[in-house]
Amino acid sequence: MMKDKIKIFLDSDLLEKYLLGTTNKQESLQVERYIAMYPEVRETYIELQDNLETFAKMHAIRTPEGLKNKILARIRTENAGRRKFLRYAVAASFAAVMFAGASYFLWNQNQNLQEENIIVNNKIESLEEDMREQLEDVRNQFIVLNNPQTKRYNVKGNNNAKELKAVAYINPVKKLSYINVKNLPNLPEDQSFQMWAEVNGEMINLGIIDKVAGQEKLLALPYADKAVSYITIEPKGGNNTPTVENIVAKIDY
Amino acid sequence: MSTLLEKHIVELLQERNEKAISLLYEHYGDTLYGVAKKVVRDDELAQDVLQESFVKIWKKSDSYDATKAKLFTWLFRITRNTAIDKLRSVNTKSDKEIQMDVSDVYNLGVDSIRPEFMDVRENLDKIEDKYQIVLEALFFQGMTQQEASDELNIPLGTIKSRLKIGLRELKKIYGSSMMLAMLLNLI
Repeated sequence: MMKDKIKIFLDSDLLEKYLLGTTNKQESLQVERYIAMYPEVRETYIELQDNLETFAKMHAIRTPEGLKNKILARIRTENAGRRKFLRYAVAASFAAVMFAGASYFLWNQNQNLQEENIIVNNKIESLEEDMREQLEDVRNQFIVLNNPQTKRYNVKGNNNAKELKAVAYINPVKKLSYINVKNLPNLPEDQSFQMWAEVNGEMINLGIIDKVAGQEKLLALPYADKAVSYITIEPKGGNNTPTVENIVAKIDY
Repeated sequence: MSTLLEKHIVELLQERNEKAISLLYEHYGDTLYGVAKKVVRDDELAQDVLQESFVKIWKKSDSYDATKAKLFTWLFRITRNTAIDKLRSVNTKSDKEIQMDVSDVYNLGVDSIRPEFMDVRENLDKIEDKYQIVLEALFFQGMTQQEASDELNIPLGTIKSRLKIGLRELKKIYGSSMMLAMLLNLI
């Protein structure tokens, strides 16, 4: 079986074709496999190579004068070209790397600057908004405080908060109302004062009164014809709805 | 043959030492020139082929694998392929198609054979023409045995037997002259 296989292989021209380098990739692989596997094929291949060399040498012709120097000169320029090319290649690669690095750096910086720009713009916008609001507020305060039609109410706390003192300013013409909480009694840590206003039957949460900041500040109240404001004691952090038993002050206006 | 020299040349090639080309030229130049000439049948073209082949040998030197082929086999392949490519490009350049005339191609240019190469003329004469034709068709023209059979109008079986006998004769002649040369060298 194996003998047959080898015989068929040797009878084919594959080995001769391989010897001359005219086999395709697949054929070469097959031949190389046979050479590696079967000593008989290997010996034949070596013999063929020897014969080829012998036969070729029998046809040797003296090379013309000067051809050797021509060839050596060409090899030398080939080398110089290669070295030169290598040098250029190295320089080009270096330049490419530098360029890529610089590009990335600049791109990154640009990206950072853009982000910063957005943040700054947002800040400016919110500052403008704040200023406009504050200016409006100050103007309204000025109107309320300076207007002869503004009524001033002194607000006092009930029995639960006797020290509570506040002044409310109501202007029915301009429909503006403010309250200035002058003094607040001390509360346990877990409680805070919260301000409410009942406007047209709806209870509005006006937020927690900050004891320290509140003293100098006029708090705007929503205006309505028959509005009532309350100050209640609520759990720290505030409540969603006022606790009626804990009302410490009531302002009608 | 001179395996030591071959090894040395291969080492130089792999170190990319230009001396390798010089040594290769000295030891194989004439033979490869003969191969080129056999294929292109023109002195000028053969010189071009040899130049291009050596440049290729130099460029491809790291692709030579000593486990796959003898150094000469590798050199022969490159030279022969370069010569065949050259012949093709010349043929396409000049419109007149050079017909591969069998009698012309397979005729030995005995006159141009390097005479000091161990009585080559004599040796070649010892191999009968009918064997030489087959050997040349297979080795130089790169025909398959089938193609040689078709081209030379010889049955495939005859090609096979002539190849075998031709090679045997070759070995006999070469072996004896080698022995003689070695003996002479020793003396």
